[in-house]
Amino acid sequence: MKVIDWVDERLDLSGVRHFVADKGVPVHAQKIWYYLGGMTLCLFGVQVLTGILLLLYYRPSATEAYESVQFIVTQVQFGWLIRNLHSWSANLLIGLAFAHFFSVFFLKSYRKPRELTWVSGILLLFLMLGFGFSGYLLPWNELAFFATKVGTGIAGAVPLVGRFALRLLRGGDDVTGATLSRFYGLHVAVLPAITTALVALHLLFVQRQGMSVPIGVERKLKPGEHLPQMPFFPNYVLRDVLAWYVVIAVLAALAAFYPWELGTKADPFAPVPAGIRPEWYFLAMFHTLKLVPSHVLGIEGEHLGVVAFGLAAMFLVLVPFLDRRASRGEPSRLFTLVAALGLLYLVSFTIIGHYAK
Amino acid sequence: MLMSDASSAAQRGSRSSVAAGPVLARLCVLVVLLVSTHPLYAQSPPAANGCVACHSTQADSRLATPAALFTEPDVHRESGFACVDCHGGSASSSDVARAHAPAEGFKGKPAGQTVVATCARCHSDANVMRRYAPKQRVDQATEYAASVHGQQLAKGDLKVATCSSCHNAHGIRRISDAKSPVFPTNVANTCATCHTDEKRMAGYTLPGGGALPTHQLADYQKSVHYAALTKGNDPSAPTCNDCHGNHGAAPPGVGAVTNVCGTCHAVFAQKFAASVHQPIFDKGCVECHGNHAVVKPSDQMLSAAAGGACAACHTAGDASDKGTAAAVAMRTGIERLKSGIDDSGALLRRIKNAGIEVSDEQLALREAGTKLTLARTEIHGFEVGRVEAILADGMKVVEAVARAGQDGVAELRFRRRGLAVSLGAILIFVVALGLKIRQIDRRDRTRRASL
Repeated sequence: MKVIDWVDERLDLSGVRHFVADKGVPVHAQKIWYYLGGMTLCLFGVQVLTGILLLLYYRPSATEAYESVQFIVTQVQFGWLIRNLHSWSANLLIGLAFAHFFSVFFLKSYRKPRELTWVSGILLLFLMLGFGFSGYLLPWNELAFFATKVGTGIAGAVPLVGRFALRLLRGGDDVTGATLSRFYGLHVAVLPAITTALVALHLLFVQRQGMSVPIGVERKLKPGEHLPQMPFFPNYVLRDVLAWYVVIAVLAALAAFYPWELGTKADPFAPVPAGIRPEWYFLAMFHTLKLVPSHVLGIEGEHLGVVAFGLAAMFLVLVPFLDRRASRGEPSRLFTLVAALGLLYLVSFTIIGHYAK
Repeated sequence: MLMSDASSAAQRGSRSSVAAGPVLARLCVLVVLLVSTHPLYAQSPPAANGCVACHSTQADSRLATPAALFTEPDVHRESGFACVDCHGGSASSSDVARAHAPAEGFKGKPAGQTVVATCARCHSDANVMRRYAPKQRVDQATEYAASVHGQQLAKGDLKVATCSSCHNAHGIRRISDAKSPVFPTNVANTCATCHTDEKRMAGYTLPGGGALPTHQLADYQKSVHYAALTKGNDPSAPTCNDCHGNHGAAPPGVGAVTNVCGTCHAVFAQKFAASVHQPIFDKGCVECHGNHAVVKPSDQMLSAAAGGACAACHTAGDASDKGTAAAVAMRTGIERLKSGIDDSGALLRRIKNAGIEVSDEQLALREAGTKLTLARTEIHGFEVGRVEAILADGMKVVEAVARAGQDGVAELRFRRRGLAVSLGAILIFVVALGLKIRQIDRRDRTRRASL
């Protein structure tokens, strides 16, 4: 007796079996973008796996964190590979998450009835940024220490609750071992728990509602005409797995040829080294805040910048509810323009921020 | 002026104290009486500085310049002193003759011993100095009297430097002021004002009998000390007064050179003191390193060949010359350790760039560098065995680091081979998957066509 039959006999998998057999994926010119979500999910799996392995040796204290990472990369068998995979995978994951976000934005896949899929996806993107921010400090090296000081300082600029947020993040007035403990807790417990739940919800929505068809493709269909469908299993799943393997090959090559530098141990009493900047995915925001004048119409510039970013985040969450044309299945040039400007802003400010002194 | 203010302040204090109580009042009167017996307090000129007011308007620069300088940053004016405190006379009199009358205590422009005596009235009095600069020494006049300058002055030589030659007479700045002529970075030029002047130095001789040279500044400007002071911004680097003394300035005696250099280079002096060269080298450190033009020492100095410091006494290539053999042995060991450190360092940098963590090895290599420094220090004891023992310790570290470096290279090869194998396996799987997808798609198309 096959295992599947054994399980089927006890749990009645006919519903799942029918779902898998009947589920189809629309075939059209833009179907390539469908794979980005799966690739992001694959990297999330890599992060979970390598993160658990790192946890076996990592020690979250100001006196031991740096040394424990050093031990991982020098003494632990394949520790260097695990750490490099974790660091590179984190960056690729955020890059792919952004690509997935923009593809969904441009294709208007957020439109009715997929509003909740979009909201859960945006929240997942924010969570990925939270993972990046909290994980960056964990090796307790000089660059991470001062970048976290700057980053948490920005959180302190939030009007009304800034001081509270800053102390909550840092565990005091300054970045210390207490901050490291908090970031560690966030990185390995709080964020993974929320993320796992949201990923499950996001996948459930995607499976329940199927893949969205771009408005342009949909409008070209004649009445009664249907898009050709590709069976989800095995045709689409095998293509997804193929994409995952490509991602893993790229990741392995990056980890082997461009090892993630550990840097020097953080010294809170050392002068701030030159060229302190956050990870690339925060560069655009960081550089924007640098350009904002100290006071605008009597309001402190940094406060204004942080509020603007907060409003932008809120706008992103609410996009499916604001874009009424897309929800009616009509072309929505305004929101395409917003997406294009957003992409242009992020790319240009990240590049400028990278080269700015 | 400050003295009179202090005096009157003490008097004001005494009046209020009388009202407060008889014991305190008596104490205050006693203090006032004691203070007022000092000659400076006894003068108590009026507050107005008529000297400056009048001298500033003079066309003769010899009269106007001192007044102008005194109104610029001047430690004495800032502390409340006036012209009359050094020159005497009356600052309040508008009558020129009366202001400069001997009856008013006018002394005119001090010169020679009078300069020293004028400054010493306050600067050799601990009670006075305690009120303005309590940490300042009060033995400058005594030191000066023991210096070559002071001794020449005592013989009636008025060309020699006195207090005002180095510190200025008016516009005197604190020694911590970077514009002061005796601020560390300015000392050499201040001394050179006279010591590079061939006419002025003519007739003066060195303790050994030779003519006093005038190229000390030029020599000093070539030295590692000058570079540290002016380019390295290290105010603790030695300038003229650090070796010759300042108020007690004199050339260090032949036997004192090692002690003078040893003030900073204590370990070198200690090693040299116990060395075979100590009784032979008349000028101590100067024999190899020079005096004013002390250049950065190099390993090339350890050689009996031309250009080496040993060449003056030892013969290169002479097998019977123990000194030459010792120099060759020590130099060879140093060069071996140096190249070992360089090679291992280059290897570590290469594998570090490729992603191998080498912090421990780099730390160990620093330890080898320390051994090299220790060996270079030990050379001053001129005992080959001791130097070689230190170098051998350094070589052990270098060899261990080199082995770790080679392990790192092997690890890199292993990683790259592993990656190539993994990528190969992934590629095969991807191709197989691609073929499978094509097969499934073809099967589906056939099935749809048959329906």
